[in-house]
Amino acid sequence: MANEPKTTASDNTGGVYKETLLAGLWRENPVFRLLLGMCPTLAVTAAVKPSLTMGLCVIFVLTCSNIVVSLMRKFLKPHLRILMFTLTIATFVTIADLFVKAFQPRMSEVLGPYIPLIIVNCIIIGRAEACASKNRLGLSIIDALGMGAGFTLTLCVLAGIREILSTGAVFEIQILALQDQGGWFTPWAAMSMPVGAFITLGLLLGLINAVTRRKA
Amino acid sequence: MFPEKIKYFIKQSWLLIIASFCFGLLIAVTNAALAPKIEQNKIDKLNRLMGGLLAAEKFEPAADFEITSAKGKKIKTNIYRGLSESNECVGWAFNCQGPGFADKIELVVAVDKDFEKIIGFDCLASNETPGFGDRIKLPYYRNQFAGAPAGKLQLVKTGSADKIDGEIVAITGATVSSEAVVKIINNSIPQVKEQMKEKGLVGNGK
Repeated sequence: MANEPKTTASDNTGGVYKETLLAGLWRENPVFRLLLGMCPTLAVTAAVKPSLTMGLCVIFVLTCSNIVVSLMRKFLKPHLRILMFTLTIATFVTIADLFVKAFQPRMSEVLGPYIPLIIVNCIIIGRAEACASKNRLGLSIIDALGMGAGFTLTLCVLAGIREILSTGAVFEIQILALQDQGGWFTPWAAMSMPVGAFITLGLLLGLINAVTRRKA
Repeated sequence: MFPEKIKYFIKQSWLLIIASFCFGLLIAVTNAALAPKIEQNKIDKLNRLMGGLLAAEKFEPAADFEITSAKGKKIKTNIYRGLSESNECVGWAFNCQGPGFADKIELVVAVDKDFEKIIGFDCLASNETPGFGDRIKLPYYRNQFAGAPAGKLQLVKTGSADKIDGEIVAITGATVSSEAVVKIINNSIPQVKEQMKEKGLVGNGK
Protein backbone atom coordinates (compact mmCIF):
# COMPACT_ATOMS: atom_id res chain seq x y z
CA MET A 1 0.00 0.00 0.00
CA ALA A 2 2.84 2.30 0.86
CA ASN A 3 4.53 1.88 -2.47
CA GLU A 4 1.63 2.63 -4.77
CA PRO A 5 2.85 3.98 -8.11
CA LYS A 6 2.33 7.67 -8.38
CA THR A 7 -0.78 8.54 -10.34
CA THR A 8 -0.03 10.99 -13.07
CA ALA A 9 -3.56 11.17 -14.34
CA SER A 10 -3.73 14.93 -14.65
CA ASP A 11 -4.20 16.31 -18.12
CA ASN A 12 -2.11 19.46 -18.00
CA THR A 13 1.37 20.23 -16.66
CA GLY A 14 0.11 22.47 -13.87
CA GLY A 15 -1.92 19.54 -12.60
CA VAL A 16 1.16 17.32 -12.39
CA TYR A 17 3.06 19.92 -10.38
CA LYS A 18 0.19 20.45 -7.98
CA GLU A 19 -0.35 16.72 -7.68
CA THR A 20 3.35 16.14 -6.91
CA LEU A 21 3.47 18.92 -4.33
CA LEU A 22 0.36 17.69 -2.52
CA ALA A 23 1.47 14.04 -2.69
CA GLY A 24 4.41 14.81 -0.41
CA LEU A 25 2.19 16.59 2.08
CA TRP A 26 -0.51 13.99 2.48
CA ARG A 27 -1.06 11.07 0.11
CA GLU A 28 2.60 10.06 0.05
CA ASN A 29 3.66 11.79 3.24
CA PRO A 30 7.17 10.39 3.86
CA VAL A 31 6.62 9.73 7.56
CA PHE A 32 2.95 8.83 7.89
CA ARG A 33 2.37 7.03 4.60
CA LEU A 34 5.77 5.78 3.37
CA LEU A 35 7.31 5.33 6.84
CA LEU A 36 10.65 6.65 5.63
CA GLY A 37 13.15 8.63 7.68
CA MET A 38 12.06 7.10 10.98
CA CYS A 39 15.40 7.71 12.71
CA PRO A 40 15.18 11.53 12.86
CA THR A 41 11.42 11.30 13.38
CA LEU A 42 11.93 9.40 16.60
CA ALA A 43 15.16 11.04 17.71
CA VAL A 44 14.76 14.79 17.30
CA THR A 45 11.08 15.38 17.98
CA ALA A 46 11.41 16.11 21.70
CA ALA A 47 10.87 19.81 20.95
CA VAL A 48 9.64 21.89 18.01
CA LYS A 49 12.77 23.98 17.48
CA PRO A 50 15.19 21.13 16.73
CA SER A 51 12.50 19.46 14.62
CA LEU A 52 12.09 22.58 12.53
CA THR A 53 15.87 22.89 12.11
CA MET A 54 16.03 19.25 11.08
CA GLY A 55 13.15 19.72 8.64
CA LEU A 56 14.74 22.77 7.03
CA CYS A 57 18.03 20.91 6.65
CA VAL A 58 16.21 18.03 4.97
CA ILE A 59 14.40 20.43 2.61
CA PHE A 60 17.73 22.02 1.67
CA VAL A 61 19.51 18.71 1.12
CA LEU A 62 16.55 17.15 -0.69
CA THR A 63 16.13 20.10 -3.05
CA CYS A 64 19.85 20.38 -3.85
CA SER A 65 20.29 16.65 -4.37
CA ASN A 66 17.17 16.43 -6.52
CA ILE A 67 18.42 19.33 -8.67
CA VAL A 68 21.86 17.78 -9.16
CA VAL A 69 20.54 14.27 -9.76
CA SER A 70 17.92 15.51 -12.20
CA LEU A 71 20.54 17.50 -14.13
CA MET A 72 22.86 14.55 -14.48
CA ARG A 73 20.20 11.87 -14.95
CA LYS A 74 21.08 11.37 -18.63
CA PHE A 75 24.74 10.63 -17.81
CA LEU A 76 24.08 8.23 -14.95
CA LYS A 77 25.47 4.73 -15.39
CA PRO A 78 23.01 2.29 -13.81
CA HIS A 79 25.63 0.49 -11.73
CA LEU A 80 27.17 3.72 -10.50
CA ARG A 81 23.97 5.61 -9.73
CA ILE A 82 23.72 4.79 -6.00
CA LEU A 83 27.31 5.91 -5.59
CA MET A 84 26.53 9.18 -7.35
CA PHE A 85 23.42 9.74 -5.22
CA THR A 86 25.33 9.14 -2.00
CA LEU A 87 28.16 11.41 -3.08
CA THR A 88 25.73 14.21 -3.91
CA ILE A 89 23.75 13.81 -0.70
CA ALA A 90 26.85 13.62 1.49
CA THR A 91 28.15 16.86 -0.01
CA PHE A 92 25.00 18.83 0.71
CA VAL A 93 24.56 17.33 4.17
CA THR A 94 28.11 18.39 5.06
CA ILE A 95 27.35 21.91 3.86
CA ALA A 96 24.07 22.00 5.83
CA ASP A 97 25.89 20.72 8.92
CA LEU A 98 28.53 23.44 8.64
CA PHE A 99 25.84 26.12 8.31
CA VAL A 100 23.93 24.90 11.36
CA LYS A 101 27.17 24.74 13.37
CA ALA A 102 28.06 28.27 12.36
CA PHE A 103 24.71 30.01 12.71
CA GLN A 104 22.69 27.83 15.11
CA PRO A 105 25.32 26.45 17.49
CA ARG A 106 22.74 25.55 20.14
CA MET A 107 20.63 23.59 17.66
CA SER A 108 23.76 21.87 16.42
CA GLU A 109 24.40 20.68 19.97
CA VAL A 110 20.83 19.51 20.47
CA LEU A 111 20.74 17.65 17.16
CA GLY A 112 24.24 16.26 17.58
CA PRO A 113 24.93 13.45 15.11
CA TYR A 114 21.46 13.58 13.57
CA ILE A 115 22.35 16.23 11.00
CA PRO A 116 25.27 14.24 9.53
CA LEU A 117 22.91 11.26 9.64
CA ILE A 118 20.68 12.89 7.02
CA ILE A 119 23.13 11.26 4.60
CA VAL A 120 21.52 7.91 5.27
CA ASN A 121 17.98 9.29 5.42
CA CYS A 122 15.90 7.09 3.12
CA ILE A 123 13.66 9.94 2.01
CA ILE A 124 16.47 11.66 0.15
CA ILE A 125 17.98 8.68 -1.60
CA GLY A 126 14.44 7.43 -2.21
CA ARG A 127 13.40 10.63 -3.98
CA ALA A 128 16.64 10.70 -5.98
CA GLU A 129 15.96 7.18 -7.19
CA ALA A 130 12.19 7.38 -7.60
CA CYS A 131 11.77 10.89 -8.91
CA ALA A 132 14.84 12.99 -9.73
CA SER A 133 16.66 10.35 -11.78
CA LYS A 134 13.61 9.94 -14.03
CA ASN A 135 12.04 13.39 -14.23
CA ARG A 136 12.88 16.81 -15.56
CA LEU A 137 14.29 19.54 -13.34
CA GLY A 138 11.08 21.43 -12.54
CA LEU A 139 9.18 18.38 -11.40
CA SER A 140 12.14 17.20 -9.32
CA ILE A 141 12.31 20.50 -7.46
CA ILE A 142 8.56 20.51 -6.78
CA ASP A 143 8.79 16.91 -5.59
CA ALA A 144 11.66 17.79 -3.23
CA LEU A 145 9.75 20.77 -1.83
CA GLY A 146 6.58 18.74 -1.34
CA MET A 147 8.30 15.81 0.31
CA GLY A 148 10.50 18.11 2.41
CA ALA A 149 7.52 20.16 3.56
CA GLY A 150 5.59 16.99 4.37
CA PHE A 151 8.49 15.70 6.43
CA THR A 152 8.98 19.01 8.24
CA LEU A 153 5.29 19.43 9.05
CA THR A 154 5.03 15.88 10.35
CA LEU A 155 8.08 16.34 12.55
CA CYS A 156 6.71 19.59 13.92
CA VAL A 157 3.29 18.05 14.69
CA LEU A 158 4.94 15.17 16.54
CA ALA A 159 7.32 17.52 18.33
CA GLY A 160 4.50 19.90 19.25
CA ILE A 161 2.54 17.12 20.94
CA ARG A 162 5.61 15.84 22.75
CA GLU A 163 6.88 19.25 23.80
CA ILE A 164 3.59 20.45 25.26
CA LEU A 165 3.11 17.25 27.25
CA SER A 166 6.70 17.07 28.49
CA THR A 167 7.33 20.73 29.32
CA GLY A 168 4.00 22.55 28.95
CA ALA A 169 5.55 24.72 26.25
CA VAL A 170 5.49 24.91 22.48
CA PHE A 171 8.45 26.44 20.64
CA GLU A 172 9.86 27.18 24.10
CA ILE A 173 6.91 29.46 24.87
CA GLN A 174 5.20 28.40 28.09
CA ILE A 175 1.52 27.64 27.48
CA LEU A 176 0.45 25.39 30.33
CA ALA A 177 1.12 26.56 33.88
CA LEU A 178 3.48 24.08 35.53
CA GLN A 179 2.68 22.66 38.93
CA ASP A 180 5.98 23.67 40.53
CA GLN A 181 5.32 27.25 39.47
CA GLY A 182 1.86 27.30 41.01
CA GLY A 183 -0.06 25.98 38.01
CA TRP A 184 -1.96 22.75 37.50
CA PHE A 185 0.02 20.89 34.83
CA THR A 186 2.39 18.07 35.77
CA PRO A 187 4.93 17.57 32.98
CA TRP A 188 5.10 14.05 31.57
CA ALA A 189 8.82 13.34 31.63
CA ALA A 190 8.30 10.18 29.58
CA MET A 191 7.19 12.26 26.60
CA SER A 192 10.64 13.77 26.14
CA MET A 193 12.24 10.33 26.28
CA PRO A 194 12.39 7.83 23.39
CA VAL A 195 9.33 6.02 24.73
CA GLY A 196 7.29 9.20 24.17
CA ALA A 197 8.42 9.31 20.55
CA PHE A 198 7.36 5.73 19.88
CA ILE A 199 3.97 6.12 21.57
CA THR A 200 3.14 9.44 19.89
CA LEU A 201 4.21 8.20 16.46
CA GLY A 202 2.27 4.97 16.91
CA LEU A 203 -0.91 6.73 17.95
CA LEU A 204 -0.63 9.27 15.11
CA LEU A 205 -0.01 6.50 12.54
CA GLY A 206 -3.06 4.65 13.82
CA LEU A 207 -5.15 7.81 13.65
CA ILE A 208 -4.02 8.60 10.10
CA ASN A 209 -4.71 5.02 9.00
CA ALA A 210 -8.18 5.13 10.52
CA VAL A 211 -8.96 8.42 8.76
CA THR A 212 -7.72 7.27 5.34
CA ARG A 213 -9.48 3.92 5.61
CA ARG A 214 -12.79 5.61 6.29
CA LYS A 215 -12.25 7.84 3.25
CA ALA A 216 -11.39 4.94 0.95
CA MET B 1 45.72 -3.55 -24.01
CA PHE B 2 46.49 -1.24 -21.13
CA PRO B 3 45.23 2.06 -22.62
CA GLU B 4 42.08 0.18 -23.59
CA LYS B 5 41.43 -0.53 -19.93
CA ILE B 6 42.03 3.06 -18.93
CA LYS B 7 39.71 4.24 -21.66
CA TYR B 8 36.99 1.96 -20.33
CA PHE B 9 37.61 3.15 -16.81
CA ILE B 10 37.36 6.82 -17.79
CA LYS B 11 34.28 6.17 -19.88
CA GLN B 12 32.53 4.57 -16.95
CA SER B 13 33.57 6.93 -14.23
CA TRP B 14 34.16 10.37 -15.73
CA LEU B 15 31.02 11.76 -14.10
CA LEU B 16 32.03 10.41 -10.73
CA ILE B 17 35.52 11.90 -11.00
CA ILE B 18 34.28 15.32 -12.09
CA ALA B 19 31.52 15.33 -9.48
CA SER B 20 33.96 14.37 -6.74
CA PHE B 21 36.20 17.27 -7.66
CA CYS B 22 33.35 19.77 -7.84
CA PHE B 23 31.75 18.60 -4.59
CA GLY B 24 35.10 18.53 -2.84
CA LEU B 25 35.74 22.08 -3.92
CA LEU B 26 32.25 23.13 -2.79
CA ILE B 27 32.78 21.68 0.69
CA ALA B 28 36.27 23.15 0.95
CA VAL B 29 34.99 26.63 0.10
CA THR B 30 32.08 26.39 2.55
CA ASN B 31 34.36 25.08 5.26
CA ALA B 32 36.92 27.80 4.69
CA ALA B 33 34.19 30.42 4.90
CA LEU B 34 32.52 29.07 8.04
CA ALA B 35 35.36 27.50 10.03
CA PRO B 36 36.37 30.71 11.87
CA LYS B 37 32.77 31.29 12.93
CA ILE B 38 32.35 27.72 14.17
CA GLU B 39 35.59 27.97 16.12
CA GLN B 40 34.43 31.27 17.60
CA ASN B 41 31.13 29.70 18.68
CA LYS B 42 32.99 27.02 20.62
CA ILE B 43 35.22 29.59 22.34
CA ASP B 44 32.19 31.77 23.12
CA LYS B 45 30.41 28.89 24.77
CA LEU B 46 33.40 27.91 26.87
CA ASN B 47 33.91 31.54 27.86
CA ARG B 48 30.23 31.90 28.73
CA LEU B 49 30.32 28.84 30.96
CA MET B 50 33.59 29.84 32.59
CA GLY B 51 32.27 33.37 33.06
CA GLY B 52 29.24 31.96 34.85
CA LEU B 53 31.48 30.08 37.26
CA LEU B 54 34.34 32.47 37.87
CA ALA B 55 33.94 36.18 38.52
CA ALA B 56 36.68 36.97 36.04
CA GLU B 57 36.94 39.69 33.46
CA LYS B 58 38.70 37.56 30.89
CA PHE B 59 40.28 34.18 30.41
CA GLU B 60 43.58 33.26 28.94
CA PRO B 61 44.76 29.76 28.08
CA ALA B 62 47.46 28.84 30.57
CA ALA B 63 48.61 25.33 29.75
CA ASP B 64 47.74 22.07 28.03
CA PHE B 65 47.34 18.91 30.06
CA GLU B 66 46.62 15.29 29.66
CA ILE B 67 44.09 13.64 31.92
CA THR B 68 44.13 9.86 32.13
CA SER B 69 40.59 8.57 32.37
CA ALA B 70 39.51 5.76 34.69
CA LYS B 71 39.95 3.36 31.77
CA GLY B 72 43.48 4.54 31.09
CA LYS B 73 42.69 6.65 28.03
CA LYS B 74 44.59 9.91 27.76
CA ILE B 75 42.50 12.98 27.00
CA LYS B 76 43.95 16.38 26.17
CA THR B 77 42.57 19.36 28.03
CA ASN B 78 43.24 23.08 28.33
CA ILE B 79 43.37 25.04 31.51
CA TYR B 80 42.37 28.68 31.49
CA ARG B 81 43.45 31.34 33.92
CA GLY B 82 40.66 33.67 34.97
CA LEU B 83 41.87 37.23 35.30
CA SER B 84 40.17 40.06 37.15
CA GLU B 85 40.07 43.63 35.88
CA SER B 86 43.40 44.41 37.53
CA ASN B 87 44.97 41.34 35.87
CA GLU B 88 45.01 39.28 39.03
CA CYS B 89 44.39 35.58 38.89
CA VAL B 90 41.00 34.79 40.43
CA GLY B 91 40.87 31.12 39.60
CA TRP B 92 41.31 28.39 37.05
CA ALA B 93 38.90 26.64 34.76
CA PHE B 94 39.39 23.49 32.74
CA ASN B 95 37.27 20.99 30.89
CA CYS B 96 37.14 17.30 31.62
CA GLN B 97 34.96 14.38 30.59
CA GLY B 98 33.86 10.91 31.50
CA PRO B 99 31.08 8.42 30.91
CA GLY B 100 27.62 9.38 32.12
CA PHE B 101 24.42 7.33 32.27
CA ALA B 102 23.55 7.55 28.59
CA ASP B 103 26.45 9.28 26.92
CA LYS B 104 29.71 11.08 27.61
CA ILE B 105 29.46 14.00 30.04
CA GLU B 106 31.74 16.96 29.40
CA LEU B 107 32.20 19.37 32.26
CA VAL B 108 33.83 22.71 32.85
CA VAL B 109 35.25 22.83 36.35
CA ALA B 110 36.38 26.01 38.06
CA VAL B 111 38.72 26.06 41.04
CA ASP B 112 40.12 28.92 43.11
CA LYS B 113 43.55 30.36 42.46
CA ASP B 114 45.37 28.16 45.00
CA PHE B 115 43.66 25.02 43.71
CA GLU B 116 42.28 24.39 47.17
CA LYS B 117 38.56 24.77 46.63
CA ILE B 118 36.15 24.03 43.83
CA ILE B 119 34.22 27.08 42.73
CA GLY B 120 31.73 25.16 40.66
CA PHE B 121 31.07 23.13 37.55
CA ASP B 122 28.87 23.35 34.51
CA CYS B 123 27.90 20.94 31.75
CA LEU B 124 29.54 21.57 28.39
CA ALA B 125 27.81 18.56 26.87
CA SER B 126 25.63 15.88 28.38
CA ASN B 127 22.85 13.61 27.30
CA GLU B 128 21.37 12.42 30.59
CA THR B 129 17.79 11.23 30.98
CA PRO B 130 15.43 14.23 30.94
CA GLY B 131 13.75 14.75 34.29
CA PHE B 132 16.18 12.47 36.12
CA GLY B 133 19.85 12.51 35.20
CA ASP B 134 19.76 15.95 33.66
CA ARG B 135 19.03 17.37 37.10
CA ILE B 136 22.81 17.42 37.55
CA LYS B 137 22.48 20.82 35.85
CA LEU B 138 20.15 22.17 38.54
CA PRO B 139 21.29 24.39 41.44
CA TYR B 140 20.34 21.81 44.13
CA TYR B 141 23.10 19.52 42.92
CA ARG B 142 25.55 22.03 41.50
CA ASN B 143 25.58 24.30 44.54
CA GLN B 144 26.99 21.49 46.65
CA PHE B 145 30.22 21.77 44.70
CA ALA B 146 30.66 25.49 45.24
CA GLY B 147 33.30 25.73 47.94
CA ALA B 148 33.93 22.01 48.28
CA PRO B 149 37.58 21.05 48.80
CA ALA B 150 39.49 20.34 45.61
CA GLY B 151 40.39 16.84 46.67
CA LYS B 152 38.49 13.58 46.72
CA LEU B 153 34.76 14.10 46.93
CA GLN B 154 32.43 11.47 48.24
CA LEU B 155 28.94 10.73 47.05
CA VAL B 156 26.40 9.98 49.77
CA LYS B 157 22.74 8.94 49.51
CA THR B 158 21.48 10.94 52.48
CA GLY B 159 22.77 14.02 54.15
CA SER B 160 22.45 17.74 54.08
CA ALA B 161 22.89 19.27 50.66
CA ASP B 162 23.28 22.73 52.19
CA LYS B 163 26.42 21.79 54.09
CA ILE B 164 29.48 22.50 51.99
CA ASP B 165 32.02 19.78 52.47
CA GLY B 166 33.59 16.87 50.66
CA GLU B 167 30.29 15.01 50.71
CA ILE B 168 27.95 15.36 47.76
CA VAL B 169 24.35 14.26 48.22
CA ALA B 170 23.15 12.25 45.22
CA ILE B 171 20.01 13.18 43.30
CA THR B 172 17.12 10.84 44.04
CA GLY B 173 16.46 8.71 40.97
CA ALA B 174 19.71 9.74 39.31
CA THR B 175 22.42 8.03 41.32
CA VAL B 176 24.38 7.02 38.22
CA SER B 177 24.50 10.56 36.82
CA SER B 178 25.36 12.04 40.23
CA GLU B 179 28.08 9.46 40.62
CA ALA B 180 29.40 10.15 37.13
CA VAL B 181 29.94 13.85 37.83
CA VAL B 182 31.70 13.13 41.14
CA LYS B 183 33.87 10.51 39.41
CA ILE B 184 34.87 12.86 36.61
CA ILE B 185 35.78 15.60 39.08
CA ASN B 186 37.59 13.17 41.42
CA ASN B 187 39.55 11.77 38.53
CA SER B 188 40.56 15.04 36.93
CA ILE B 189 41.23 17.46 39.79
CA PRO B 190 44.15 15.57 41.43
CA GLN B 191 45.75 15.01 38.02
CA VAL B 192 45.41 18.63 36.96
CA LYS B 193 46.64 19.78 40.37
CA GLU B 194 49.67 17.54 40.10
CA GLN B 195 50.55 18.80 36.65
CA MET B 196 49.95 22.40 37.70
CA LYS B 197 52.45 21.94 40.52
CA GLU B 198 54.95 20.38 38.15
CA LYS B 199 54.68 23.36 35.86
CA GLY B 200 54.94 25.71 38.81
CA LEU B 201 51.59 27.36 38.19
CA VAL B 202 50.30 26.81 41.74
CA GLY B 203 51.62 25.73 45.10
CA ASN B 204 54.79 27.79 45.29
CA GLY B 205 53.50 31.08 46.51
CA LYS B 206 52.41 32.35 43.13
